[in-house]
Amino acid sequence: MLRDKRQEYLTALILVGPFVLIYGVLFVWPTIQMVMLSFTDAPLIGPGEWVAWENYVKILGHRLFHSAFWNTAYFVLLTVIPNTLVSLLIAMAVNRLDGWKQGLVLACFFLPYILPVSVVFLTWNWIIDVQYGLAQVFVRPFNGGEPMSLTRTIPAFMPTVAFVTIWWTMGFNILLFIAGLRTISPEIYEAASLDSAGRWRQFSRITWPLIWPITVLVLTIQLIAQLKIFDQVYLFSIGGRQDATITLVQYIYKLAFQQNRGGEAATAAVLLFAMIVVLSVLQYQLLRARGEK
Amino acid sequence: MADIVLKDVSKAYGVVQVLDNVSMHIRSGEFIVFLGPSGCGKSTLLRMIAGLEAVNSGEIHIGDRRVDTLPPNRRGVAMVFQNYALYPHMTVRQNMSFGLENIGTDKAEIARRVDEAARMLEIGPMLDRRPAQLSGGQRQRVAIGRAIVREPDAFLLDEPLSNLDAGLRVRTRVELAQLHQRIGTTMIFVTHDQTEAMTLASRIVVMNNRKVEQIGTPMEIYSRPASRFVAAFVGSPAMNFIPVSAIRNTDSGLQVEAGGATITAAFASPAGNVEGLTLGIRPEALRVASDGALKGRIALLERLGDRTLVHVTLADGTLVIGEDVGKSTLEPGTEVALAIDGAGTHLFDAEGVAYHAD
Repeated sequence: MLRDKRQEYLTALILVGPFVLIYGVLFVWPTIQMVMLSFTDAPLIGPGEWVAWENYVKILGHRLFHSAFWNTAYFVLLTVIPNTLVSLLIAMAVNRLDGWKQGLVLACFFLPYILPVSVVFLTWNWIIDVQYGLAQVFVRPFNGGEPMSLTRTIPAFMPTVAFVTIWWTMGFNILLFIAGLRTISPEIYEAASLDSAGRWRQFSRITWPLIWPITVLVLTIQLIAQLKIFDQVYLFSIGGRQDATITLVQYIYKLAFQQNRGGEAATAAVLLFAMIVVLSVLQYQLLRARGEK
Repeated sequence: MADIVLKDVSKAYGVVQVLDNVSMHIRSGEFIVFLGPSGCGKSTLLRMIAGLEAVNSGEIHIGDRRVDTLPPNRRGVAMVFQNYALYPHMTVRQNMSFGLENIGTDKAEIARRVDEAARMLEIGPMLDRRPAQLSGGQRQRVAIGRAIVREPDAFLLDEPLSNLDAGLRVRTRVELAQLHQRIGTTMIFVTHDQTEAMTLASRIVVMNNRKVEQIGTPMEIYSRPASRFVAAFVGSPAMNFIPVSAIRNTDSGLQVEAGGATITAAFASPAGNVEGLTLGIRPEALRVASDGALKGRIALLERLGDRTLVHVTLADGTLVIGEDVGKSTLEPGTEVALAIDGAGTHLFDAEGVAYHAD
C-alpha cells in the first residue's frame, strides 16, 4: 500500500518518533550530562568548574570507593550464582507438579517478588530481630547459645541481605526457568529413558544444555540488578556502621545527596556504568559462546 | 529377537478405563500393526510395552522375561516417536550415539554401529548436522537410526509417518517394509491409517473402544472381519450395510432379503431372529449389471479411470456404493441395477458379530 519510499520512511519515523524522543530526553541526554558533570567540581545543583580527570584520580584513590567496590562484588558473588541455581532447582521441582498444584506452588514462590522493598525489609527485620526474631532459633546454636544481631555483626551483614534478596527475587527467575523447561518436550525425556539415561544424565545432557539460554539470561539480569544494589543494604544498615557495608550505588548516593559533591558522584556513577556494561556484555558473550560449543 | 506376549493387560487413568484385558502373542520377527480410531488405546498399549506407561493389571513378556515391572531401558525395545523426539542440541551422530554411550559401549563399536545405520538409512552426509537443519523425512530416518543402533529385540513405532506429506509417506512406508525385511526384527507399528496397516503388516491388531476387535493377516481382516466395526473400519470405500428384512433357511443356504433383493449364501448364521440383522457387502462385490437384483437411482459417480464408484440410492433410501468396471457410460440420476456377489457378503447381528458367506 505504501507505494513510494518517502512515505514509508515517514510512517516509520512517526511510529518510532515518540519512543526516540522520550528515550533521548529521559535517558541519552541525562547520561551525556552525567559524563560531562564527572569532569567538573559541580555541587549537586548548579554548574561547576572544569577539572579534567581530577575526579577520577580522586575517586579511584578513595578508600570508601574501594570498600564500596569490594562490598558490591561480594554481594554479587553471594547472590547471582546461588540465586540462579536455587531458582533452577525449585523450577525443576515445581515443573514436576501437575495442574493446580503447580500453579499454587508457583504463586507461593512468586508472591515475595511483588512486595515492595520496604515490606520485605520490615518483615525480615522482625524475623531476624535479636530479641524476638524467629530466625534466632537457628542463629543461637552458631553463637554459643546467645542471640546475635545479623545486621549489626559486620561479617553476617552481607550474607543476611543476600539471603533476603534471593528470597525476594527468585520468583521471577523461577518463572523464567519454568517457561524454559516447558519448551522441552516430554517425549525427549521418554526417549532419554529408553536410551538408558538416568536422572543425572537426563539433567546434565538434556535439561542443562537445553535450558542454557535461559540460564544465561537469568545470570545477566541478576548481574545487572545486583551490581546496582542499594535499597536492601541501605535499609538494613540504617543505624549501623554504614561505611563498613557501603555498596557502589550507596556510595554515589552519599557523595551526591549527603556531601553535595555532584561532580564526584557523577564520576562514581560513570565508573559503575562502565563496569556494568563491560561485565554484562562480557558475561553474556562468554556464556553464549559456551552454550554454542 | 524375541516373542512378545501380553496377558490380560489393563490400564485406567483414574476412573477412565483405556484398555480392558488385552491379550496377544506377537511372534519374533513379525510386523504387527495396531490399527484403530483415535482414543481406542493403541498408543497407550504401545507405550505400556515400551515401559512409558505403567500396567494396572496383567503381564507383558518379551522373550522369556516378564518386563512390565522393568524400566524402559531394560526391556530391550527401541521406540520411534510420532514427533521423532530427537535431542535438538545434539548432532545426528550424537543423537544416535547417546543411548550406547549411556550403557558404556566401546567408542569404536558406537562409531561402527552409527556408520552402518547411517549407510543403511542414507543419512551419512547429515551426521554432523542438528535436527533443526533436517527436513521432516530426514528427521524420521534419524529417529529410526537411533533405534537401529541399539540393536533392540523389538522396534516400537508410534504413528511415525503421520507428520510426513503424502508422497513422502508412501515412500517411507516402502522403505520401512524393506528395512523390516532386511533386519528381520519384530516391529510394532501404531497407526489409524488402514492403508499403512494393510500394506505393512504381517498381522493387524484392530482395536476399538479399549479392546482388541480382531487379530489377523491383512487379508483375513479384509475378507473375514470379525465384527461390524472391523468391516466398516477397514476398506476404502467402506463396506455397504443394508438392513435385512427377512431370512429363510433353504437347502442351498440361508436366503437373505435386503434392500429389495434376495441373496442366498452359506452364512453360518443363527437362523430365525431377523431383528437387527444387517447385510454387509464390499463395493467390489456389488457390480453394475443389467440383470442385477439390487435396484436404485445413481446419486453420484466417482470415476477412477479403470473403474467407477457408483453411489446408488435404493428404494428404501439406503445409500450403497458399487463398482462399474471398465469405461463407464453411466449418468447420475438414471436407474441402475447392481448384481451381488454372494461370496463377498457378510451378515452382522445386532451386537455386531459377523457371519461370513463361506
